[in-house]
Amino acid sequence: MKVICSKDNLTEGINIVQKAVPTKTSLPVLEGILLECGDNFKLTGNDLEIGIECLVEADIKEAGSVVINSRVFGDIVRKLPDSEVLIEVKENNLVTIECENSYFEIKGLSPQGFPALPAIKKDNAFKISQKIVRDMIKQTIFAVSTDENRPILTGSLVECKDGEITFVAIDGYRLALRKNRIDNNSSELRVVVPGKTLNEISKILQPEDDEITIYSTSNQIMFDIGNCKVVSRLIEGEYLNYRSSITEDYETKIRVNKNDLLASIERASLIITSDERRFPVVFYIEEDKMVVTSSTNVGTVKEEINVETDGNRIDIGFNPRYFIDTLRAIDEDVIDVYFATSLGPCIIRPVESDNFIYLIAAVRR
Amino acid sequence: MNRVIFLVDMNAFFISCEMSRNPSLKGKPAAVAGDPERRSGIILAANYDARKYGVKTTMVIHEAKKLCPDIILVPPDHEFYRKKSKEVMKILSRYTPVIQQNSIDEAWLDLTGCEALFGKPKEIAEKIMDDIMRELDLWCSIGISENKFLAKMASEMKKPLGITEIWQEDVKEKIWPLPVEKMYGVGRKTADRLNKLSIYTIGDIARCDIAVLRKAFGKYGEEMHRLANGIDLSPVSENPQHDSKSIGRSTTLPEDITDLEYAKKIILQLAEEVGAEARKYGYKGRTISITIKYSDFKTITRQKSVLPTYLTRDIYEAGAELLTRNWNLRRPVRLLGISLGNCENDYVEQLTIFNLPGSKSDSKMEGKPNKIDKEKEEKLEKTMDIIREKYGQDKVKRAKMLQD
Repeated sequence: MKVICSKDNLTEGINIVQKAVPTKTSLPVLEGILLECGDNFKLTGNDLEIGIECLVEADIKEAGSVVINSRVFGDIVRKLPDSEVLIEVKENNLVTIECENSYFEIKGLSPQGFPALPAIKKDNAFKISQKIVRDMIKQTIFAVSTDENRPILTGSLVECKDGEITFVAIDGYRLALRKNRIDNNSSELRVVVPGKTLNEISKILQPEDDEITIYSTSNQIMFDIGNCKVVSRLIEGEYLNYRSSITEDYETKIRVNKNDLLASIERASLIITSDERRFPVVFYIEEDKMVVTSSTNVGTVKEEINVETDGNRIDIGFNPRYFIDTLRAIDEDVIDVYFATSLGPCIIRPVESDNFIYLIAAVRR
Repeated sequence: MNRVIFLVDMNAFFISCEMSRNPSLKGKPAAVAGDPERRSGIILAANYDARKYGVKTTMVIHEAKKLCPDIILVPPDHEFYRKKSKEVMKILSRYTPVIQQNSIDEAWLDLTGCEALFGKPKEIAEKIMDDIMRELDLWCSIGISENKFLAKMASEMKKPLGITEIWQEDVKEKIWPLPVEKMYGVGRKTADRLNKLSIYTIGDIARCDIAVLRKAFGKYGEEMHRLANGIDLSPVSENPQHDSKSIGRSTTLPEDITDLEYAKKIILQLAEEVGAEARKYGYKGRTISITIKYSDFKTITRQKSVLPTYLTRDIYEAGAELLTRNWNLRRPVRLLGISLGNCENDYVEQLTIFNLPGSKSDSKMEGKPNKIDKEKEEKLEKTMDIIREKYGQDKVKRAKMLQD
């Protein structure tokens, strides 16, 4: 194998595939990146949960392939001067890397042991803009559970039906739901994608309107992003039936400026230091204002915000972290917040659409 | 202004209670002892006539009998001692409302500023001792100082019927020469570790570089250093902060057991006591651990995390699960214990959106507000606490305890 490419392109490719390379594993070959030269120059990383392959623009002199340790290869390439890089595989998988006045010989591994990415049948596919997927992931991923005791909740439900795509994440204490229209699409999808996969994909996706294609089978999903393909296993099992918890009834509803509310809660949580995370913020909702308070061993705080209230007065406490995460994921300036009881979850919706729904469970004080 | 703190310590409390209701025991060597048939047969409290023969608390019965063949042994009646203890506290509360009961037979009193009412500290102590003796026929020793630690140390100086004052200026002379194991809060294990550091007396602790103690004992090392210097700023308070943040009970079984169901019943009994205490202080704990001591004295402890709780039911269920999972059933067990740890008292409970797996009704997943069961259980257990407090421990029982 012999190939020449620019340091910049190679670095970009390494950065992408490294997201799928595990740092510690019992199988040394998985700690490597597979380099392949055929019709094009392809890098692959695979931790058996996620596999990522990426094409790098290059001048291929000689076909072939090799596996090279990901950390060593990445560190070397990143430190090379901004110039052309020549990579060549000699006997016994010895990899030479040349760039201007630098010359490395690195011991590689045989590509034979490297697990290929699973082949995905391409019948169940739909196209969607990169930006939409990126936003939807970012607006829901914070609510994905990290509790391995309930594996199903460590992923997001991705549902595609009737020209709409929905992302849902629930960690038990909050729920995040985002919905978007997708045009001229007929395929249906209902899968649970691991949060880790979505997190890595959101870093690869660009805020651009270019379309990506998503293929899925019963246990694998593939995101085809131009030069890059991400294949991930899906989480098996039935997702929570969350719909019944999203009720239309409420005792109290407020319409509030999201930025005012966010700023108030952020200020109020300043006195909730890391030792005191158990303390909540408490909302007192009155006729045309709400008071945000907190009281900890550090001191107390009180914030007043103008709101339009519909319904009864109510006071209710929350973990401020959950509110801050949620409000930061909302672009709209004005939101509606619905409360049913002073111990029940509150529901946050946009004023005029059904693009998102967030639920946050209260605390018992 | 200097504080005035008393520690009132009841002398040989259990046996004195017995002597107060059975005067025929007076003047003869007698002791409260566990049932000799059971292996919990140890001396719980010996009167002063028996102590003359060398009989000591925790001594096994046959040893005591060897020292004093005529000793009269009385089985314990904890219910009665609790009643007597309450009567003592009632007398103490005539002198100050600021009382912290440290155990069944001792309490701290804050008498700061009471001189105008009752006289000098020594005179107040004499009055208290006299009241308790006349009204209840019980003896006590009283330590007087400006903080809880020194008051406790003072109360130990002269027993029975002693009144001892130790003020800050006496610390060097009266406290420092004592060996470390005489220091309140220092047990055998800590004493051994101190000795390894060539620290033998309380004075050695006081003079030791605080950094050395901190390195060896952490925060507790700093605390020891302060106490050894006679400094203790902790207030006398009715609901003291549990330093250890854990509540536990254990029991030595009358005979070695191999029956899981029987063992679970023991765990339930212990969980009741742990739960009752936790509920009393409003402490919810996040970890539950059990101790299993096998007949060969090999001991294991196992723990698991739970959602913060003080309910007997939760404590029992976690305990029973740990027991089932970790007990090697072929090995007979002689002691079982359970404790609730990682306690907090101003806990705010994060509610959930769903009844998630792990809660009682997880199959439903209907999005109902969960914890309905818990609320009911909490009401039930608190009501049981009230009934037991008022009418006695054995008036309400769980049905499980009735099964054979």
